[in-house]
Amino acid sequence: MPSLDSPEIETQDAAGLDAPWNVVVHNDPVNLMSYVTLIFRRVFGFSREKAEHHMLEVHQRGRSIVWTGGREKAELFVQQLQSHLLLATLEKAQP
Amino acid sequence: MRLQATEEGDLLVEEIPPFLLQLIRDIPVRAGSNHPRAEARFFPDPSIDDDLVEDWKAFVQPELLTLFQADRETVRADVRGAREEGGGFSLRIPKNHSDAWLGALNQARLAIAEEGGFEENDIAEDVSPDPEDPRAMALFQLGFYGFLQECLVRMQD
Repeated sequence: MPSLDSPEIETQDAAGLDAPWNVVVHNDPVNLMSYVTLIFRRVFGFSREKAEHHMLEVHQRGRSIVWTGGREKAELFVQQLQSHLLLATLEKAQP
Repeated sequence: MRLQATEEGDLLVEEIPPFLLQLIRDIPVRAGSNHPRAEARFFPDPSIDDDLVEDWKAFVQPELLTLFQADRETVRADVRGAREEGGGFSLRIPKNHSDAWLGALNQARLAIAEEGGFEENDIAEDVSPDPEDPRAMALFQLGFYGFLQECLVRMQD
């Protein structure tokens, strides 16, 4: 049994950092569907079909998880999406 | 107004009436809105994590601000190059400026929508420009910028 001041908590924190993060794009009534599709293709290299699938999911469901992975890369993707003025956030992926 | 793609991939906009040229000149002005709702939309929080939001404001948002300003300056310079021809004006949007135009047009549309509090139904409305009606003018401007944006997107497809 580890004592209360054992380093296990640190180990959990480190594991938390490695946990996957979702890049989420939220619906916006202003952005054109064609523009959103173009940006998805550019930023993630999606095929047209995949980009349109995510664009429609954003439009119909209000949000779409467009990428999941390490936090650093997720932050970079959110920055790229925001540079194109898409409403993008990141969140911890559900275990 | 007539639009055509050149062999070099530029977008040539011809026979622009003075009224629409003024709206085109307004793109960087509208895009540079400092209305609180527009600014909040340009720079959304990336997360509910306070530490990340703080870092984002310190390191990422200044970069975004610089990028948005550069887009607006590119558009402003291109519009300064509009020439009077016959009864209208013509304007060339170079292929390598199309991203800046897409960005500035998008920013202008977002600003107009935020300033006017427009929702999806308002934006879908078919309006005619009426100088006596600020709402109709704003919605017309939003639609016109959307049309230009759509043309640029299609050229990149």
